[in-house]
Amino acid sequence: MAAIELEGVTKRYGDVTAVSDLHLQVESGEVFGFLGPNGAGKSTTINMLLDFVRPTSGSVRVLSRDAQAESVEVRRRTGVLPEGYDVYERLTGRQHVEFAMRSKEVDGDVDDVLDRVGILDDADRRAGGYSKGMRQRLVLGMALVGDPDLLILDEPSSGLDPAGAKEMREIVRAEADRGATVFFSSHVLGQVESVCDRVGIMREGELVAVDSIEGLREAVGGEEQLVVTVDAASEDDVAAVRALDGVSAASTDGGTVTVSCASDAKTAVIAALEDAGVTVKDFSTQEASLEDLFLTYAEGGDAPDDAPVAGTEGGE
Amino acid sequence: MSLEAVARKDFQDAVRSRWVVVLAALFSLLLSVAVYLLPRDASTSALFNSLIVRDLFVSLLVPLIGVVIAYNSIVGERTTGSIKLLLSLPHSRSDVVFGKVLGRATALGVPVAVSFVLPALVALVTPLSLELGVYLGYLLFTVVLGTAFVALAVGFSAAVDSQRIAVAGPVVVYLLSGPVWSVVQLPLQFFLAGQQFPGWLPLDSSGVFRLIRLVNPIESFKILTVEFVNGYLLAAGQAGTEAAGRYAVQVEVAALAMLAAWILLPPLLGLIRFEDADL
Repeated sequence: MAAIELEGVTKRYGDVTAVSDLHLQVESGEVFGFLGPNGAGKSTTINMLLDFVRPTSGSVRVLSRDAQAESVEVRRRTGVLPEGYDVYERLTGRQHVEFAMRSKEVDGDVDDVLDRVGILDDADRRAGGYSKGMRQRLVLGMALVGDPDLLILDEPSSGLDPAGAKEMREIVRAEADRGATVFFSSHVLGQVESVCDRVGIMREGELVAVDSIEGLREAVGGEEQLVVTVDAASEDDVAAVRALDGVSAASTDGGTVTVSCASDAKTAVIAALEDAGVTVKDFSTQEASLEDLFLTYAEGGDAPDDAPVAGTEGGE
Repeated sequence: MSLEAVARKDFQDAVRSRWVVVLAALFSLLLSVAVYLLPRDASTSALFNSLIVRDLFVSLLVPLIGVVIAYNSIVGERTTGSIKLLLSLPHSRSDVVFGKVLGRATALGVPVAVSFVLPALVALVTPLSLELGVYLGYLLFTVVLGTAFVALAVGFSAAVDSQRIAVAGPVVVYLLSGPVWSVVQLPLQFFLAGQQFPGWLPLDSSGVFRLIRLVNPIESFKILTVEFVNGYLLAAGQAGTEAAGRYAVQVEVAALAMLAAWILLPPLLGLIRFEDADL
């Protein structure tokens, strides 16, 4: 059963197309990471799932219901951490969670919820005095109320410190283990790799890739980077390596040889160097970095190595 | 229930607004002073018939409190983004609009009711004998009047995405039906008296004037309360001259219907636009 089904969904604001002909299916029980740079259409898509905005064309179904006509039923079984929200400044954290419980018509222990997201000590303070991170925790707590079938989290780690982001991932994992479907957006890659079953990458309103992390890696080429420490290597030695099957690039600074190659070509590379009379002292391999991978899709390839994508913070 | 959850949240939120507290305190103080200054042999009816209490304090201040409490109720949440928190929960947009009307009307009603307590205490230490039924009944009408302006302001707040228009709309209606009306009603009456109305209109000039007056929520309130405090509300029998404060039952029913319409129609119209809005 599909938790989220988008078919040919387009959203235009005047002349601007925010989302263009989007087809996406997220299965029940899946943890799905929705990636892309700011302005790629991630939040617009999430807003259509929640009926905050209406698609210009196409069909949106969530939990097997029409996202627009049956939105209240959808939201009854969904927990949401929206983007660009604000808390009620004059209400306490406790009152926020109580409001969520009353709205979802569930009984529960408010303290348990606040404790789970780590703001129990501030439960009776007005939320207007909360930091960005505490607000984020509070709204996550509201989203968890009533054990929803689907969690929709828009940039859940923004505003959180690294420890908070880790707690967030643990909660996502726990919710997935409980059987919930988790759909979350991010432009921070670190969060995605460890928790997602699949990811989708948006660029300029279009979905440019949907796959598991491993699948994406293979699709990009499945290459590894082999760094070989040697006594001394000349340009001729490297040319011999470059001539091997499965090697796409090789270079040297004299003391190390860096080779991009298919993973099954590694032994051949070492052998070729030794045949050329080079003494191999040590070697290590690195997988293609996720950042490179992400940029390949998100920016249409040719990504610079030092692009500041992973680790940056902020909303759309 | 979803509407009740929204109303309760909204009440908790709005009643903590400093503005509400200040206006309610001011209102209570003015009313207490009026009670204190009343002549010794005055009745409760005399209190509410007095131009100061009825026209100045209640019919001008309470609608204003209603507008202040409610104008930002929805557009403010859209501006800050808390509407996304609200609509992440299983509330329909109509639950939001009518929950807001209910919540903010309560946020108006509670301080107004509380502010009626102090004058009642003042009445205990002065010779004024307070008729509790009349006092509470008048309080109820006051809250209904305030609710009409709350509903008006919520309607505007739902319909537009600009805080400036959301406040300007109900303020203009307030000015027209309050201060402006009190200045123009006599000239208007004279003007209408000199007009020749077409034959198909089943109203003479005083009928047209009465119709305009009934459309004005503050005037509908005055018609109802003057009849109520004098014990004539919905009383059968011949209506006297309107100047003496005695209206036909049909006029009183029309005034009630008008207030009900003011409470229901603006939120409905606002909802129609809010339903189609992208947040």
